[in-house]
Amino acid sequence: MSGYVKTAREMGLVSCTRCTKVWPAGTETCGRCGKKLVSRDRKSLQRVWAWWLVGVMCYIPANLYPMLVTRTLFTTEQSTIIGGAVELLTHGAVGVSLIILFASVAIPVGKFIAIAYLAISVQRRSAASYETRQITYEVVEYIGRWSMIDIFVVAILSSLVQLNTIAAIQPGIASLFFALSVVFTMLSAQSFDTRLIWDVQGAAKGEAGNG
Amino acid sequence: MAEAPSEVKIEPASGGFGVSMVWIIPLIALAVALGVAWQSYSNQGPVITIEFENGTGIQADETQLKYRDITVGVVEDVGFTDGLESVEVTVRLDKDVAPFIDQSANFWVVRPEVSARGITGLSTVLSGVFIEGVWDTEIGNAATRFRGLEEPPLFRPSEPGLQIALRATANGQLTENAPIFFHGIEVGRIGKAHISPRTNFAIAEAVIYEPHDRLITASTRFWDTSGFSVSIGASGAEIDFTSLATLISGGVSFDTFVSGGERVADGTEFQVFSNEENARNSVFNASEVEELQLSVVFDDNISGLVVGSRVELSGLTIGEVQSVNGIIDRARFGDARVRLNAVLTIQPARLGLEGTPSPTTALNFLAGRVREGLRARLTSAGLLTGGLKIELVQVDDALPAAIEDLNVAVPTLPTTSSAITDAGASVEGVLTRVGNLPIEELLTSAIDFLNTAQAFVASDGLQDVPAEVTALLGDMRGFVGSDDMQNVPVALNALLGRMELILTQLEQEQLVMRLRTAVDAAAGAAEGIDGLTEDVEAAVAGLPALLTSLQGVAVKAENLPIEDLVSELTDLTKTADGVIGSDGFKALPADLSAALAEIEATLKALREGGVIENANATLASARNAADAVAGATADLPALMDRMASVLNQASSTIRGFDQGESLSRDVEAALRDIQKAAQALASLARTIERNPSSLIRGR
Repeated sequence: MSGYVKTAREMGLVSCTRCTKVWPAGTETCGRCGKKLVSRDRKSLQRVWAWWLVGVMCYIPANLYPMLVTRTLFTTEQSTIIGGAVELLTHGAVGVSLIILFASVAIPVGKFIAIAYLAISVQRRSAASYETRQITYEVVEYIGRWSMIDIFVVAILSSLVQLNTIAAIQPGIASLFFALSVVFTMLSAQSFDTRLIWDVQGAAKGEAGNG
Repeated sequence: MAEAPSEVKIEPASGGFGVSMVWIIPLIALAVALGVAWQSYSNQGPVITIEFENGTGIQADETQLKYRDITVGVVEDVGFTDGLESVEVTVRLDKDVAPFIDQSANFWVVRPEVSARGITGLSTVLSGVFIEGVWDTEIGNAATRFRGLEEPPLFRPSEPGLQIALRATANGQLTENAPIFFHGIEVGRIGKAHISPRTNFAIAEAVIYEPHDRLITASTRFWDTSGFSVSIGASGAEIDFTSLATLISGGVSFDTFVSGGERVADGTEFQVFSNEENARNSVFNASEVEELQLSVVFDDNISGLVVGSRVELSGLTIGEVQSVNGIIDRARFGDARVRLNAVLTIQPARLGLEGTPSPTTALNFLAGRVREGLRARLTSAGLLTGGLKIELVQVDDALPAAIEDLNVAVPTLPTTSSAITDAGASVEGVLTRVGNLPIEELLTSAIDFLNTAQAFVASDGLQDVPAEVTALLGDMRGFVGSDDMQNVPVALNALLGRMELILTQLEQEQLVMRLRTAVDAAAGAAEGIDGLTEDVEAAVAGLPALLTSLQGVAVKAENLPIEDLVSELTDLTKTADGVIGSDGFKALPADLSAALAEIEATLKALREGGVIENANATLASARNAADAVAGATADLPALMDRMASVLNQASSTIRGFDQGESLSRDVEAALRDIQKAAQALASLARTIERNPSSLIRGR
C-alpha cells in the first residue's frame, strides 16, 4: 500500500507539532499557538536513546526488587513482579497471573523493543513499510500510559489493606523503579519525531535528504 | 525539553550533530546506581560462621542475630560442617558491631520455652527463632568461627554479677535455671548442675547479679527452698515453702546470719543446706571454729535423747548431741548399772566469749562455770513429742564437782538430776481416762430413753390427753357457768341476810338491857333494906337465892335458841358444801364425757358400718362403667376404618357400574346416605371421645 507520500518538507511547508497548523517553511514560531516550528528535530533520536536507556536501567531493579510487601500477623512476604505472577499461577489464578505478566512484562519489554526498532530503522534509513512503522509508533505512544496500571494496583492495594498489625500491604521499592521506567519510556516515545520515518522514502527515490 | 527551542535555532546553522543535554539523565542514573552499589557493598559487615548442634528453626536470609534484643546481623546461609557433624550457620554482621565480636562472643539459639518458672522466648513463636549473642564491650582479636552454645549462658557480660559454685547435699536439688532468692527477692540464678569429678556430690555454677553480689560473704549460707517440707520435731510442726515456682522447679535462698564476713571472689564454692535451720546452725560450724567435745553421763536411762538433740545454755542452742550410748563402768560408778553416756559437740563461737572463740577458751569458760555450779541435765524438748534435750543449768545447792581432766580428748561434764516434765504421760493419762469413760453405754441409755420418750409421746393415749383435758375444761366451764351454780352465791347471800336480820331482832329485843334493869332493881332493893341490920342479914341471906334466880335468868338467856340458829346456819353451809361435793355433782363431767364417748362410738360404728366402703364400691363401679365406655370408644376408630373400607369397596363397585346412569345415581344417593350415617357416627364417636361421661348421663 505504500504509495509515495509527499512530505510537507518537500512542499516547503512546516507543520506545528502542537496545533498541527501548517506554515510556510522558514516560519519560526506558530502564529496560532506560539510554538517554535522545526521541520525536523535533529536531536530527536538522541533524546529517544537517552530516555530509552534510563527506562531500561530502571526496569532492571523494578524486576529484581519486591513490588509488594505483604505483612501479615506472623510473616512479612515480599514479592517481585514475576515472582508474584508465578505464585498466582501456582495457586491456579491463571487469568490474573497472565494479566500481570502481560501488563508488567510483555508491554514494557515490547515497548523497549518497538522504540529501539523505530530508532534503529530511522538511523539506518530503512525503507521498511513506513505506514507500519507509523502505526507501531502510534500504538507504543498510546499504550504507554496503560503500563501505569501496575502502579495503580499497588497504590490501591497498599491504601486499602492497612489493618495495622493483622495485615498490611506496602509498596516495595520496585514500584518506584517501575513507575520511573514507564515514565522514561513514555518520554522516550514522545521524543521520537515520526516525520523522520518518511524522509527515507525521498532518499530512496534519489532525492537529496537532509542526511 | 526546555532545550528544544535553542536547538532548533542551532540546527539550520550547523546542520551537524549536537549532543543533547538529555544524556545527562542516564549518566546521573548510572552514577546513582553505581553509588548505591558501592555504598551497599562498603556497608556490608564481615561474615562469621557459627556451629550449632542442630539448626531448628534457623532459616537463611530470615533468622536474625540479636544483641541485647537488637538485630545486628542476618543468617545468610545454613549448611553443614564437613562430615555433617554439626550445622554451620553463616551470619552477615552489621559493620558497626563486627569489631566487638571477638573470641569472647557466645552465641545460642533462642527458642520458645515453657517451664515451671514461666514461658520464655514467647516472641519467637511468632517471629521464628533468632540467634542471640553476647560479647564484651571491648574490641578484641577478631574471630570468624564460633561454637554455638546449646543453652543460654548463665553469665552474660551484659548482666554483671558474682559467679559462684553451689554444692548440693546428699538429697539436695539443684535445678538448672532455678532462681536464687534473698529474703524472697530473686537476685541470682543457678546454672546447669553436674556431678563433681572429685566426689559424688552435685555442683552447679550460679550467678548473683549486681548489685546483690555484695550480699555474699564468706559467712553466707545457702539452703534449698525447693518443694516444701513438713517437719514435726521437738519444736513442733513446720510447713515451709518459698514460692509456687520453687515448689515446682526448685530454688535456693541464702542469708548472711552473722556480719563481718569477707567479700568472696568469683568461683567461691558454697554448700547448699537442706533447710534454713541447718544453714543457720552451720554458721557456727567447725569449718571455721573447731568444736568442743564434752561427755556427760546421766544416771537416768531415759529414752528420748537422740543424736542431734539440742544442747542449750540459758535457752540458747550452743551445740548438739553427737552420740548417745550406754555405759557400764563398775570401777567408776561402783555398780553395774547401765548409764546414759552422751557426747556433746559445743560450738565455741556460740558462747559469746571475748576474743577468738576456740575449744580451749570454751572449755576453760565451762570449767569455771562448773565450779560455780553449772550442771548438765536432761529435760524435755517439747511438750508433746517427748523429745529430750540437754540443758546446762546453774544449780545453786550442787555438790561440789569439776571437770576432772581438762586435757583428755573428751572431758566429762558433771550432771544433775533430770528435770523431765512428763507432760506427755499426763496428757496420755487424761486421754486414757477420757477413753475409759462409759460413753457408749451412756449414749445407748440416752438413746433408749429418748426412744421410749418418743414412743410415749407418740402413743395414741397421750396424744388424746390434751383433747380430753380440753373437753374437761369445757365441761367445767359449762358447769361453772350454769344458772344453778350462778345462783348458789345468791342463795348464800340471802341466807346470810336473813341471819343478820335475826341477829338484829335479837339485838332489838334488848334482853341485855332488861337484864341490866333487873339487876339495877335488885340493887335498889338491896339498898332499900340497907339500914335494917336484920333485914340486911336476911337480905344477905336471900341474896344467894336472888343470885341463883339471876343465874337462872342468865341461863335462860343462855338457853335462847341462838346456838340453834348458828348451828342451823352451819348445817346449811355444810349442806351446800355437801351438795357441791356430792357424788352426783362430781359425776356431772363424767356424764358429759360418757355422752361424748357415745357420740364417738356412734361415729366409729358408722365408719365400721361400711358406708364408706359402699360409697367406694359405687364409685368403683362408676369407674368401671366409664372404663367400659372408654373401651368402646377405643373400638370406634376400628369400626370407622372398617366403614371406610366398606365405602371404598362400594365406591370402586360403583365405578364399575358407571355405565348405567340411573343405577349409579341411585347408588350415589345410597352412598351419600351411608356417608351421612358414617359422619353422624363419626361425630358421635368424637363426642364420646371428648366427653365419655355423656354416654352415662345421656347428654
